[in-house]
Amino acid sequence: MAENNGYSLWYEFKKGLWQDIPPFRLVLGTCPTLAVTNSVVNGFAMGMATLFVLLGSNIIISAIRKYVAPQVRIAAYVVIIALLVTVADMFLAAFFPPVSKALGPYVPLIVVNCIILGRAEAYAQKNPVVPSIADALGIGIGFTLSLMTMGFIREILGFGSLFNIKILPPSLFEPWIVMILPAGAFLVFGTLIAIVNYISSRKSAASDKA
Amino acid sequence: MEEKTIDKTELKSAPESPAGPGEKLFVTSSPHFLNKESVPKIMHTVVLALFPAMAASVYFFGFRALLLYVICIGACLITEYAYQKYMKKPIKVYDGSAIITGILLAMTLPPGFPVFGAILGSVFAIGVGKQLFGGLGFNIFNPALLGRAFLMATYPVLTTTWVEPRTVQKAVDAVSAATPLALMKFEHKFTPVLDLFTGNVAGSLGETSAIAILIGGLFLRYKGYVNWKLPLGYLGSMAAFSGIFWLIDPTKYPDPLFHLFAGGAMLGAWFMVTDMVTSPTTDLGQWIFAITGGIMAVVIRLFGGLPEGVMYSILFMNAFVPLLNKHTRPRVFGAIKAKAE
Amino acid sequence: MNPVAKMFMNLVGVGVVSGVILAAVFHKADPMIQANKEKELKEAIFVVLPEAQDYKILEKKVGQETLTIYEGVDAAGAPVGIAFKADGGGFQGNVGVMVGLGLDYLKLKGIKILDQVETPGLGNRIAEPEFQDQFKGVEITPKVEYIKNRKPEKPNQIQSITGATISSDAVVKNINNAVTKVLREFPKDDLEKYVKKAEAPAHAGKDGNESPKESDNGGK
Repeated sequence: MAENNGYSLWYEFKKGLWQDIPPFRLVLGTCPTLAVTNSVVNGFAMGMATLFVLLGSNIIISAIRKYVAPQVRIAAYVVIIALLVTVADMFLAAFFPPVSKALGPYVPLIVVNCIILGRAEAYAQKNPVVPSIADALGIGIGFTLSLMTMGFIREILGFGSLFNIKILPPSLFEPWIVMILPAGAFLVFGTLIAIVNYISSRKSAASDKA
Repeated sequence: MEEKTIDKTELKSAPESPAGPGEKLFVTSSPHFLNKESVPKIMHTVVLALFPAMAASVYFFGFRALLLYVICIGACLITEYAYQKYMKKPIKVYDGSAIITGILLAMTLPPGFPVFGAILGSVFAIGVGKQLFGGLGFNIFNPALLGRAFLMATYPVLTTTWVEPRTVQKAVDAVSAATPLALMKFEHKFTPVLDLFTGNVAGSLGETSAIAILIGGLFLRYKGYVNWKLPLGYLGSMAAFSGIFWLIDPTKYPDPLFHLFAGGAMLGAWFMVTDMVTSPTTDLGQWIFAITGGIMAVVIRLFGGLPEGVMYSILFMNAFVPLLNKHTRPRVFGAIKAKAE
Repeated sequence: MNPVAKMFMNLVGVGVVSGVILAAVFHKADPMIQANKEKELKEAIFVVLPEAQDYKILEKKVGQETLTIYEGVDAAGAPVGIAFKADGGGFQGNVGVMVGLGLDYLKLKGIKILDQVETPGLGNRIAEPEFQDQFKGVEITPKVEYIKNRKPEKPNQIQSITGATISSDAVVKNINNAVTKVLREFPKDDLEKYVKKAEAPAHAGKDGNESPKESDNGGK
């Protein structure tokens, strides 16, 4: 996908928002998608932490891509990613202890999030810094929006609230506890994948006709 | 485009070729199906067999029980019809399978369960549990149990709030109570077996009266619609396995009869384990399926976090049915083993 | 350049630079993280020992593990009660409870749920004040008990949460286990013996090691 000549920054950014949106089209990064999306705020925090790591790793890896021996590149990338993740983890623990507590072990687990190493391998190591930034921003924001969508559905149905504010009175709506549980994450995830696939197959059918 | 092609293939396979969804029911090794049987006839006989249990629950829990049956059956039928209409599949809502799902789902609910919850469970049972898998004959899990499991996770308080039998008529002052299994688990009180047998205990609509279910089950067995291995294996392994613990320490563990008549054991063994679609087709597979399921149920009841384990034991074993069918297929007569030595 | 040397240089370079950055971030962030943790601990202690203004750390080595409890003191420095953490399995994971116990070792002063991952809307109602407040003044002898659907009748009883018996049971069980352990290991008459002294940690450790495992000596 990475054509070095004739790229457009806008395209590199935009592809992460729909065409390559990580959890729903690439089915990457499903662990945090399922684990921490029981509220919009948690989804947002997780997305931002991932975006920070992704941005940093794409910039550094793209900057040093010409100096790293191909045989040891994965090892070097993993050290860089682990560094960024640890920094993000400490930052959250120092400045946002409640968020850090809510996300629990899933912040350190960003290290093994396939999106990060996937973008490093598939994009950053073949492209200059500026397009790599666009790529990281697109994928990272797409990921954040995906997590927030999951969180939105699960929080409304599961707690009857939004951004931790009760919006559905219990007299009108009995919250579906299942939506906060792991089972609900799988249900919402599957439904969203189905919807995204349905829309894009409609789209491609329409463009075939045209 | 993709959906449409899928539709066509399913359309083609359903009504024209003999291997349609309904046919699944006949591809069993069981000998008791004659050619004149049809899906609607079997299903309507099962409904008939459920009548004693329904009557008992209406007697014990009153008008409220009747309401839940009507709501669940209605919601199941409407969901099935709407899905088939929307997906442009042949409308097969009259084959009676949705009615059975509705009745069985209602039977697993507590008498005081709210109407919106019953509707939600029915929609999930038919929509996700059955139609998403491809309709009758293709579902992996028993739809009614899947609907119940969904409700259990969705409304954990409402699905475990029980009332004393014969008090619910005066809806306001229905006396809340614990089921015999919950009493056993959390307070170490054993309910007399006679009460369990007649059904004069707190519990879900269809699981209280063991005798009523037994009548229906034996009627089905008489009609030849129930493979005797499944209920026998399930109840037998429950009795045997719980009997071991009872012999070890009768003060701590209840006797096997308690296990057989309490909770959903009877309902599960006669009407859910025996579900033709979600049970194995080979003799050996059926024995493994039923016996392991019975042991699972006792393990969950005695050592698990929940008081009742019948639902999850059956759902758990449902997941193994394709595997059991594949690996327990009997050798074709005269065929040579792949590796004789 | 020799490819092996290049690989070597790459990895060493990445490792060293990452190490330096990490050390710098850690140097900045760690005091704040520790302060957050201490604040959380302090708040929990002050909730379960409402009269406390400050606390002392009490430690004792039992076998391999070190038991830590906290002694709350009021403004004048007089002890008002002890607090300790009770951990144990709940319905889905660990349920950690901070328990406040009066100096008479008879009644609970309060509890606070620190960690829990119980079912939202059901088991996690153990973290609600209505449930936690019940434990104020509950007697610990012979042990704390819960009853269902009724108001507590005896001074050592609380009412469990409807539909969340397992989580309620876990809280009570964890408290009982921890209370038994603390009563055994920290006899009320010589609490001062175990106060952690910043200047002489070696002595405290040695002291603990010498006492036998059963700690019968401590009781006498």
